[in-house]
Amino acid sequence: MAGYAHAAAPARLSAANRSLADRVGDPILRAITWLASALAIVVLVALAYKVFDLAGESFSKYGFSFVVRQEWNPSEGTRAYGFGAADLLYGTAITSFFALLIAAPLSIAIALFLTELAPRRTRRPVATLVELLAAIPSVVLGLWGLIVLAPIMRSTIEPGFNSVFGFVPLFTGTPFGVGVFTAILILTIMTVPIVSAVIREVFDTVPPELREGALALGATRWEMVRMVILPYSRSGIVGAVILGLGRALGEAIAVTMVIGHTLTGIHASLFSTGDTLASRIASEYEGATTSLQISSLAYLAAILLVLAVIVNVAARLIVRRSAVRLPFGVGAPT
Amino acid sequence: MKPLQRRRVVGYADPVAVRRALTLTLFYAMFTVPFAVVRKVRLARVVARGAARILGPAVHALDEENALTKKKPVLLAALAILAVPIAACGSSSSSTGSSKTLVGAGSTLVAPLLSQWQPEYEKKTGIAVAYSAIGSGGGISSITARDVDFGASDAPLTEDESKEAEKGGSKVVQIPWALAATVIAYNVPGLGDELKLTGPVVAEIFLGKIKTWNDPKIAALNPGVTLPATSIVPVYRTDGSGDTYALTNYLSHVSPEFKSTVGTSTQVHWPVGVGGKGNSGIGAALKANPGSIGYIAIAYVVANKFDYALIQNAAGKYPVPGIPSISAAAATLKEVPSNNEISIVDPPASAPGAYPISTFTYALVPLKAPKAATLKPFLKWAVSPEAQAFGPKLEFAPLPSLVVNAAEKTIATVEP
Repeated sequence: MAGYAHAAAPARLSAANRSLADRVGDPILRAITWLASALAIVVLVALAYKVFDLAGESFSKYGFSFVVRQEWNPSEGTRAYGFGAADLLYGTAITSFFALLIAAPLSIAIALFLTELAPRRTRRPVATLVELLAAIPSVVLGLWGLIVLAPIMRSTIEPGFNSVFGFVPLFTGTPFGVGVFTAILILTIMTVPIVSAVIREVFDTVPPELREGALALGATRWEMVRMVILPYSRSGIVGAVILGLGRALGEAIAVTMVIGHTLTGIHASLFSTGDTLASRIASEYEGATTSLQISSLAYLAAILLVLAVIVNVAARLIVRRSAVRLPFGVGAPT
Repeated sequence: MKPLQRRRVVGYADPVAVRRALTLTLFYAMFTVPFAVVRKVRLARVVARGAARILGPAVHALDEENALTKKKPVLLAALAILAVPIAACGSSSSSTGSSKTLVGAGSTLVAPLLSQWQPEYEKKTGIAVAYSAIGSGGGISSITARDVDFGASDAPLTEDESKEAEKGGSKVVQIPWALAATVIAYNVPGLGDELKLTGPVVAEIFLGKIKTWNDPKIAALNPGVTLPATSIVPVYRTDGSGDTYALTNYLSHVSPEFKSTVGTSTQVHWPVGVGGKGNSGIGAALKANPGSIGYIAIAYVVANKFDYALIQNAAGKYPVPGIPSISAAAATLKEVPSNNEISIVDPPASAPGAYPISTFTYALVPLKAPKAATLKPFLKWAVSPEAQAFGPKLEFAPLPSLVVNAAEKTIATVEP
């Protein structure tokens, strides 16, 4: 405990001489820190338990086939009353995949600019501005997407893509403004700050000797980036992208405002409306009335939890494997 | 919400305040006693030193040394500390505050009317009514969980919902307290207001069978109107909504295919279209998508000046949605069933001026309500002509006397 001078230590060390304050201090510290760590684990376990428990009714009705069923009908009187996660899984996969496809190169470019190419004085302000994107509350971004971005998508961007890339099935279909494409753009805006911040950290760990060595050997700036920085940071970049994937998978509010909340089956068009797991939970939970519907929404939450665990584990495995391959060994900053 | 009020009754120790005072003392003791024990300092000195630090400026001659040596300042300090919890007994606490508020949640359709009632009722009786418009489905689930004092729903409780709600301890009854309508609104550039449609045509539009505005079925109803070739984008509510209930109820009445495919509920699966959350979500979707058609509560349509469609009723007429046509639909009601579940969609041909998609909206209240003493007067006032007078400005029709009688009879059965 603070305040005891080292010179006084020998006299105090014997058990008999230690005051009550000394005797209880250490154990109390240990107990408090242990409790704090245990609390985190308890919260995780309790949350997972409760979600799986609530999903019990839907699981006993559908079993694992819930994951491949392609319908979601909460209206009890109809023939088609029933629930299934296939369309939602597809929507989640599509939105996250394309969001990261756009966000990854964008973030690498931003990180490169900030570490290599920007004038020293502009680095801090530009970095702060990029990180400020992450500070925007997701509901505000969703509102912006609904009111500003969706009309622009409908009138300009989606028809533009259709006319230029119309031969690609991705860019066919009627533009509504709201839809999967808009959700992808919103998710990109949300993941770029995180991914670029982590990649920037990774780029900063590249040893200057390697950089300077490449330049001394006559490499141009781009060659130096290609030969030294990118290979060195490969596992770190993968880790950052997976971090962004975690964010994109779980984003509910912003997505639910711009994705149009429909089940349009598994097809290629990005212009159509759709739905994701998290967005369906966010939009329907408040108004869900039958217990089967609530249970199915909890089943969706359980699927999301499992996905998050898988993504995390996969991230660690990828990072570990690519770290071993690197000659210098030192890999990801995680 | 009203701030805590001071009660000036002498000799009365409000139980919650006493509990609070004791908790405060306990917390204080929890910190000082171990401190005193560990430091082997007399408890009185600990209290006095703490008191000296807190009350130093207020009490004369109470500096560090004096607190430890002189007797009087120590006693003064100790008394001062102990006086705090006792003084707390004198002030009123949240228990009186809690019986002066009512908390409700549910339907967005009735939300504009409730926001008119809130300040009026508070001025009249001092009771604050807090309401969150989370949709009828949310209202039903809130009152089932007994999270609120009253729920509000445009859809009457289904059998399953009633059974779930009963699990909270007593049956939940529904009290019709407002009468409004759901209107079909659209946004089609090049098309004027007041397009004529029939129920079966609207059903086919929302089923995706009719895909463009210049479809022959729509053209047949609107001779002389040039219909653009824009494709129709149906817009619907994604949350649990009484407007969804009203429209699906009507469409299930007029279209058997709609009834078997989509059904009647606050939350259904719409085969085609785009979803929006809340009436404002539909409004935004309508504004953003030329060629879209959706359903909104009448108050929002009027406030935002959307184009709306005229729906043909059973008598073959196209009444303009408004107070007269809604009241005409309500007037077809001959008797109110015992559970107050009233459906006036698709009224019979005997009422030529009736608007077909009119709906009552209900307050959901448990039969055994802990705040019955505050709740019952509020509900009685809500169905009275004084409160209903706020309706017409917002396109709510006044309740027919048949319904008011049934409502008052149900309110009387609620007990604490």
